[in-house]
Order: sequence, then C-alpha cells, then structure tokens
Amino acid sequence: MKLSKKVVLLGHFGVGKTSLFRRFIENEFSEEYKVTLGVQIKKKVIQLPDGRELSMIIWDTEGHSNSVEDTRKSYLLGSHAFIYVFDLTREDTYKNLNQDLAYLKETYNKVIIKTIGNKVDLVSEKIAVKNLKELNIPFDCLTSAKTNKNVKNFFLDLAEEITK
Amino acid sequence: MKNHQNQLQYNQNIQSITVSLDGTIIDTDTNLFSWKSGTSIYDAHPFFEILKSFIEDDDPNNAEFNLPCIHFENDGDERICDVSIQIDSKQVLITFFDYSDKYIELNGIAQQRNESILITKELELKNQYLLEKEEFKNSFIANINHEIRTPLTSILGFIEVLQKTSLSFEQEELARIIQRDSQHLHALIDDMIDISKIESGKLKIVEERFTFSDLVDGLHESYSKIAEERGIRFETYVDPNIQEYLIGDRMRVYQILNNLLNNAFKFTEEGKIGLSITKNYQRTNKLSINFKIEDTGMGILEEHLDQIFDRFTRFSKDLQISGTGLGLAIVKSLVDKLNGEIKVESEPEKGTTFNIKLPFKFEVTKPTPERKKKKYTLPETKKRFRVLLVEDEETTQYLVMKILITHGSFYVDLAINGEEAIKAIERRNYDLVLMDLRMSKVDGYQATHMIRNNYGDEVISKVPIIGFTANTNETERDKCFRAGMDDFITKPFKREELIYKITKQIAKKAAD
Ligand SMILES: Nc1nc2c(ncn2[C@@H]2O[C@H](COP(=O)(O)OP(=O)(O)OP(=O)(O)O)[C@@H](O)[C@H]2O)c(=O)[nH]1
Ligand SMILES: [Mg+2]
Repeated sequence: MKLSKKVVLLGHFGVGKTSLFRRFIENEFSEEYKVTLGVQIKKKVIQLPDGRELSMIIWDTEGHSNSVEDTRKSYLLGSHAFIYVFDLTREDTYKNLNQDLAYLKETYNKVIIKTIGNKVDLVSEKIAVKNLKELNIPFDCLTSAKTNKNVKNFFLDLAEEITK
Repeated sequence: MKNHQNQLQYNQNIQSITVSLDGTIIDTDTNLFSWKSGTSIYDAHPFFEILKSFIEDDDPNNAEFNLPCIHFENDGDERICDVSIQIDSKQVLITFFDYSDKYIELNGIAQQRNESILITKELELKNQYLLEKEEFKNSFIANINHEIRTPLTSILGFIEVLQKTSLSFEQEELARIIQRDSQHLHALIDDMIDISKIESGKLKIVEERFTFSDLVDGLHESYSKIAEERGIRFETYVDPNIQEYLIGDRMRVYQILNNLLNNAFKFTEEGKIGLSITKNYQRTNKLSINFKIEDTGMGILEEHLDQIFDRFTRFSKDLQISGTGLGLAIVKSLVDKLNGEIKVESEPEKGTTFNIKLPFKFEVTKPTPERKKKKYTLPETKKRFRVLLVEDEETTQYLVMKILITHGSFYVDLAINGEEAIKAIERRNYDLVLMDLRMSKVDGYQATHMIRNNYGDEVISKVPIIGFTANTNETERDKCFRAGMDDFITKPFKREELIYKITKQIAKKAAD
C-alpha cells in the first residue's frame, strides 16, 4: 500500500500558512494576502532517504484569531502531524502558544506537533530567538516562505519523522 | 440510503457519490464534479485520503462525518463545498453541498476583517519604530550637547580674552566675526536642545511668581538699543490693568517674546516694531494676556504662512539674515506647552503680526515685592582671595585662570580631580572652590559631599563651592544643590557671570 500521511497547518490568520504551503508544493510566493476560508488540501510526493515514497497530504486551514480550539475539529481528524505556524513579527500569534500546544497534546495525543516561527526575513534572527526564549516559546524551526529559508528542509525532516 | 441519494440528484448544487470500501467509485451523478464510476476516488482529489483513516479507524456501522468549507478544483474552477461522509459496512456515501456563493461572500468579509487587523498592527509597529528613533535622536542630541559645549566654552572665552589684548584693526574685525559665528552656533545648540526637550516631553513648565514689568522692561531695554542702532522705531505698550506680580513660567514667556522680537528685527529694515501687551480677561485668580508683536518688515507669502512654525523653515533666501530656522518652531511648541494660542497674519512688503494668548495666574493677596538682582562687592578684609579651581580640561583651566588673574583680586590654585582637590583643601584655606562636575576619579558631586561631611573644621566644610556644568537641565542643577554646592555656572559662561557669582558667594560667606 502506498504510504500517505496527513499533515495540518494551524495557527493564527495571516502568519503565512498558505504561503508555506504554496512555497513547499509549488515553489511560489505572493506578497498579496488572500485569506483562506475553511481548508484547502494538496498532495506532495516526497522521496524519502530510504527509497520509499511518501504522499504528504497537506491541509492548509483557515487561521484562527484567538485560540487553536476555534479551528474546526473535523479538519483535524486522522492527522499524523500538526504544524503550528506563528508570525515572528506579531507577538499576538505566539503569546498563547503554550496553551494551544497543551490543548492539542491533550486532545490528539498520538499526533506529532511541530511549531514554526515564520517571516524570519522580517526580523533579526538573533533577537527573535532571544525573545522567544525569554517568553518560553518552543519552536522547531524559523522559516521564511518569502525567501524560502528552511521551508523545504523542514517538510523533508517532518516527512522522515512521520514515516519512522 | 439509496432513496436519499435519488432525491438529491435533482438539485444542481448537490452531488452524491457511492464509493466501495477500497475506494472505487460505484455510482455518481455529475452535478458538480465529473468524476467517473469505476475510477478510484483517491485519484480524484487528495481530500479523499481521509477516507482511509475513517474506514480503518472507526466502527464502520454507523459512522458519519461532516466537513464544512472544503475547496475543490474542478477544471480550473473552484467549488467550496460542505462534505458529508457516511460509512457503513459495505460502502461509503459522500455528499457534496456546493456553497461557493455563500463562502465567497464570507471570504470577502474575513478578508476585510483580517486585513484591517494586520494593517493596524503594522501601523503600531511603524509607530513604535518611529518613536524609538525619535527617542534615540533626542537623547543623542542631549548627549552630544555636552561634547559640543565644552570646546565652545573655550572658544567663546578665549575670544573675550583675545579682544582684551592689543589687536590690529584687521585682527579685531576677525575676532568679532569668530565671536559672532560662535555665538550663533551657541544659539543653535540651545535651540536644538530646547526642541529635543520639548519633543521628548522633558521640558517642564514651572510656575513661579515674578514681576511682570521686569520681564517687559528687560526686553524693552535690549531691543531699544538694537532699534536705535538700526534706525527703526521700537514701541512697547503694557496694559496698566495687568497685575504687578504674575505666576507662570517667566523664562519660557521671555523665550517666546525674545524669539519673536528677534525675528521681527531680523526681517525689518525700516519702519517700526511694536510690542503691545493687553489683558484679555480675568477670572478669580486667572488671567489671559495677549501679546501682539507687529513689524513693518518683508512679510510672508500667504502660501507660506502655514509652514512657518515648522522646523528649519526659512523663506528668505537672503543669507545676510542669520537664523537657525528653529526659532518659530520653538515658539509654537512653547506656546502649546503653556496652553496658549498663537496666530500670525502677514502681508508681503507690509509686515507681519503675531498674536499670542497666554494664561497666567496671580495671587489675590498682595505679596511683598521681590528683590532685584543684588549687587555684591568683595569684602575688604583681604586684598586677594584664594580660589581653588578643580577642573580637568586644559582649556577651561586656562580660561578661568586668565579671567581671575587679570581681575586682580584672586589667587588661583589648580586641582585636576576630586582627589587632588581634597588634598589641596586639607593643605590650605580657600575662600572659594570652583568645581567641575565631570571628572575622572572622584567627581565633583563626590568631592563636594566629602568636603561638606568629612571635616569638623568649618573653614573647610563651609567653603563656598560653585559647580561647573555643561548641562543646563534641571536635574543637574538639583544635583548640584543636593550635593551641597552653593551655586553653579553653566558652560559656556561670560567673564561677568563668573566674577559675579564668585563675588556673591564670597560676600555672602563674609556676611554670615
Ligand atoms: N515577508 C514575509 N511575508 C510573508 C511570509 N509568509 C507570508 N507572508 C505574507 O503574509 C501574508 C499572509 O500570508 P498567508 O500565507 O496568506 O497567511 P495565512 O496564515 O495563510 O493566513 P490565513 O489564511 O488568513 O490564516 C501575505 O501577505 C504573505 O505574503 C514570509 O515568510 N515573509
Ligand atoms: Mg491561508
């Protein structure tokens, strides 16, 4: 049977979920902000280092404006990983990250959860890291959908992790 | 289930598909999507991958899932559907409800809402950035101020010293130019400091009681002299109904009027300049005063009128007319700070009129008159007085020594830091100490504190101390007094001011 895993992009609106999605799948980026309503789903076939092929089914969800609990539960069913994206230029998008993570871990205890600070091109990485550490915000990766920084590597690492 | 499917088949916006548990499409209409029976649903759209987990994980007998607002592409078009999935032991029924219109409308609303939030955030960030920049600029100006003032002190001081030596006509003229330009530079620095203080909110308005006529007399005196030299008339009128003593910020009011008069004189070649001060109204202990400054100068074009209070605005191309371009900006800020109003009217070639309204308070009971600047003379107990100069900068050292020694009534000893000052004071009795505040090792505050507190001998502990500072701010002034100094002098200073302050302190000490 073909290997297929569902990955969901979560997070506040405007943080760049759709941009990361497009950057990874189509290698495109647009400065224009087009709100995502509901969810759009696309597939990316990834060649794993061990030779297997993974169909990563990525769900790009509508951003919430308060808490991840506002995201429709039905979108999260059958997931293998959640990617919680926040915007490094907007503290509002990560100040409640720990609460959101606690909720996700409790409700979906088998799902791998990753956190991404996006738009790293707009900030000083050093200061951003210091700031996140001070606020005790965990992050797996800092990315830029605009400059393509860390996007591909992040998804490829995730692909390996969910197929272990 | 079949029945339900048949009913739905007739609605254009609904499509139903039956799928076997291995994913093959058994039956479908094509109302929305043209997927074909016999093909695999998993090839139709990645969305359907979710079926696998539903079929695997859930009790297949009675599972139903509803997923709203899913985007599907269909030959380039996009349909946004709510999807209902029902699974039983044999097959899966998937129903699509196309709500594209409704969702597109909702999308528009969400777009507007999110964008407006993001834009506000962006503006906040920009504002914060600008504020930080502005703050940096202001503190930069305040700091650089010290660095500029110190050399300027010595330039201005040495010019005075130089002018007292025998100079040829040409040298005298050159010295005069250096003096004029340095004074201009000095004025510019003062203006910049004022502006940065006003903008950073550091300018404090004080309320003090003062003799109103003194303020006007001072202006009248200095500008009458200029008027005479320039061959123009200068007239002042003061409403006799204005109280003798007012409460307000005398310094700032003076600064406003001085700036405006200065301006009027700068731009008026002939005719007359008038300062007329009248009472607007009076209530209990408050009154409003109108100051009108009128000139017959070159005037301002109407289109320039609303910019005249901007910084560095100069409409005159005449380079003979010197000015920092900050004067009117300061005036406007000060008037605002004092809760007043300023208006300007002007006609080119005819002249300009400024009208300023400022609020004051007055005491309802008649107070005792304030003392004028008193004259002091050195006591006749000694022919010469011994002064200790504590200063680490050579230029100021030289300047002060020169002023005091040429005066003839002083001996001067020098210490280059607080530590040396203490040693000197223990060795010898001084009539006065001039103390720079910023020095390496022991600074001026510390040294003063030690002198005041560590000695039983009153000749030492009560010696008059005058602080030297390059800073004009109130905190530094307060710090001087709190450290126990009797007075302070701001650099750059004039010879007369230095002599006056030294004489005053020595005379006061002798009178005690
Ligand atoms: N500079 C910069 N801008 C980015 C980056 N990623 C996204 N953006 C911009 O941020 C805005 C929002 O990006 P989206 O990808 O639409 O954000 P979203 O998280 O999908 O938003 P919702 O769909 O409303 O939840 C767009 O204007 C993007 O161009 C990035 O890495 N750097
Ligand atoms: Mg999006």
